[in-house]
Amino acid sequence: MNVSANDNNSAGVRGFLAKYSVLIAFAAIVVFFAVASPTFLTPANLFNMLVNNVVMLAIVALGLTIVISSGDIDLSVGVSVDMASMVFVMLLAAGYNGVVGVAGGLSAALIVGILNAILITRLNISPFLATLGVLFIGQSTQQLATSGGQPIYLTSGYAADQFNAIARTALFGVPTPVIALIVLAVAVHLLLHRSVFGRYVQAMGAQPGVAWYSGIRVPRELSMVHVLCALLAGVTGILLSATVKSYVPLSGNAFLLDAIGATFIGTTLSRERKPSVIGTLLGVLLLAIVKNGLLLVGWNFYWQQVGIGVLVFLVLAASFGLRRAAH
Amino acid sequence: MQTAKRDIAVSMTGISKRFGPVRALENANLEIARGSILGLVGQNGAGKSTIIKVLAGIIKPDSGSIVINGETVSALTPASVEKLGVHFIHQDRLLVPTATVGEAVFLGHEIGLGPFVSRRAMERRAADLLKRFFGMELPSGTLVKDLTTAQQKVVQITRALAQKASVLVLDEPTAALVKREVDSLFDVLRRLRDDGIAVVFISHYMQEIEKLCDRVTVMRNGTDVGTVDPRQTPIDEIIAMMIARDVGEMFPKRSVELGAPVLEVSNLRLGGSFENIGFNVRAGEIVGLTGLLGSGAKEIVQCLFGLKTADGGQVKVEGRELSLSTPVRAVRDGIAMLPEDRRAHGVALGLSVRENISLASLRRYSRSGMVSRGAENQAVDGLIKELSIKTPHRDALVRELSGGNQQKVAIAKWLSCQSRVYVLDEPTVAVDVGAKVEIYNLLNRLAGEGAAILLLSSDLLELVGVCDRVLVVYRGRLAGSFSGPAMNSDELLAASSGARSNADGVAA
Repeated sequence: MNVSANDNNSAGVRGFLAKYSVLIAFAAIVVFFAVASPTFLTPANLFNMLVNNVVMLAIVALGLTIVISSGDIDLSVGVSVDMASMVFVMLLAAGYNGVVGVAGGLSAALIVGILNAILITRLNISPFLATLGVLFIGQSTQQLATSGGQPIYLTSGYAADQFNAIARTALFGVPTPVIALIVLAVAVHLLLHRSVFGRYVQAMGAQPGVAWYSGIRVPRELSMVHVLCALLAGVTGILLSATVKSYVPLSGNAFLLDAIGATFIGTTLSRERKPSVIGTLLGVLLLAIVKNGLLLVGWNFYWQQVGIGVLVFLVLAASFGLRRAAH
Repeated sequence: MQTAKRDIAVSMTGISKRFGPVRALENANLEIARGSILGLVGQNGAGKSTIIKVLAGIIKPDSGSIVINGETVSALTPASVEKLGVHFIHQDRLLVPTATVGEAVFLGHEIGLGPFVSRRAMERRAADLLKRFFGMELPSGTLVKDLTTAQQKVVQITRALAQKASVLVLDEPTAALVKREVDSLFDVLRRLRDDGIAVVFISHYMQEIEKLCDRVTVMRNGTDVGTVDPRQTPIDEIIAMMIARDVGEMFPKRSVELGAPVLEVSNLRLGGSFENIGFNVRAGEIVGLTGLLGSGAKEIVQCLFGLKTADGGQVKVEGRELSLSTPVRAVRDGIAMLPEDRRAHGVALGLSVRENISLASLRRYSRSGMVSRGAENQAVDGLIKELSIKTPHRDALVRELSGGNQQKVAIAKWLSCQSRVYVLDEPTVAVDVGAKVEIYNLLNRLAGEGAAILLLSSDLLELVGVCDRVLVVYRGRLAGSFSGPAMNSDELLAASSGARSNADGVAA
């Protein structure tokens, strides 16, 4: 009796650790950096980290969360970021106002999403290959459009100044971009976990055959998934340009792997390893804090990637290993 | 039970296992003798699968002891069990779809030199074994995914035989096999028994148990309630042991006033599969459809749900002509489909009971695109209660339910849609007796509420017991429509195999 009670207890503890491994890692890392670096918890650093490392990545990751929930993948999110950024900056540089710039940028991302949707749902190309192809084409397109990859800078006097100003302000102490992220995250959360569309996405991700046999218009819903992902990446593209007042070709690629990583770290929160908005946001925060923290404690830039790699292994191994032991 | 001293290969005693509050096994015993075929029966949820998974090293028991070949073993793993000569043919096809037959047969025991695998040798050895045991010949290098379900089963058994199994456990091996294949499987099992191998045979088909097994162990509520000789014990008695409560009749009787035709099919045609198919299903009527593999019966059902597009013909539901191009259309037009492959098409195992039940009818529980949880919960709870779906709660994953309850979830999905026409494709395959009766009752109730039901089945007793009328398809044509006294399994079998045609007029 005693033995089995102990077994149950330790299994319970392990189950708890497995379930909350991301949260525990999160807390441990925050504590670690707070102790290791006096600047880590200062408002200025947190503001900077949220605006530069969290918001843009998180918005891309929200899009990927939808795609991965549906059982697909989108490797071309970087292209959507870049295309939106490029068109936005080109329009502003040509003297158009901000509204036209934003509309143009989002339209460019929309086109990327529609292209993905057509390749996947009409031509039945696997999402991995279809979006990989779009990634290659998108990269070349940018180089062709910018004489081999020359950045486009926005000088003062453009509408960009207003955007830049907005990006640097705060509402009740919360940076405006963070507010934008919260609004988008709530919207995507409702969409994914409360709406009819979200249910269809989950069903397609869980068992595409069942979705089809239940009368769900799978091609249409999948198209919507890819378009939404591209649009969210486009929002990041515009935020990026507004923050750095320029368009640097191929800068969107940096988001792809971090966003996929964050989404999968987030799946450890769920027993069925389903992606969720909350999990993804935690994953993004975890990555951003490690990057920022390692920088503050003086780690070489090149070692940061090693740190992140090790962290991802630890979190996932803890979650998978402990969960198996708990069963 | 221990009076006769037999040569015991595996002895499991006092096995208990709990999953949270659920008691899956409670002091269960299982004794497997060499040179004998042991049947293992019980309703889904009785603990059959769990005790087999314990033996397979997939589930760790809370208590109890396992003795294999006279040796007490603890901490079994799937690999260590195979080393002890105990092999399992699981119900799910656990083969790599893209492997060749040779690779599948020798998976984990590849033939070759060091790290190099000799594919040719494996193909040749596999072909030899298949021919020797089953008289089956496949083109060299055939891929597993290109095999029929029956052939895949055969390949799995061959894999165990190739590794010199001393104990062979088969979980529902005949569920997807046709008669001839079942017979040759039985021959193989008998030969293995005569060679001294211990065979465990899990099946829902009592006739098979009676025909094949030397002894049968009956499980109920997580424990073994008895082991009997199936040849000397009437089937009814064995079923009574399984169920404890009175089953009542296997096929509940009903009397329904038939209404107007709901489903009208005329001149339906699909190149290479069937032609000139015409029949009606009236409100409250259960019409059976049967035919041998490749007769076209299955394709008719697929066309009715838009899974295949017919080349010509007309399908009407309540007088309205349908264009059945996709399941999307079929569902909107009020056709419900219970597919044969439940795990691939019927229910999403990774989603909850609630999400599965409301999946096809979410629009009814939503407002401007957002799901209204209250309305959904209420409807789902109602259906769980109405169909007596055994689930801990509405948010439990369907994966955690037994096969029969999963099937009830699949039916509940369409009840929630208020479909008018129900097309069922082998709804009781791999479902236990108790759940079968419940499904039959459900069909009766649906019919009683005025639905039109088309039941595709190869279980002739089921068709005779449940249907008002049975249509037989032979080589792509309707070979007969049987009702009343003419509707008996001999007639149906004769018509399916082309020996006889027609009874009361094809058009009906």
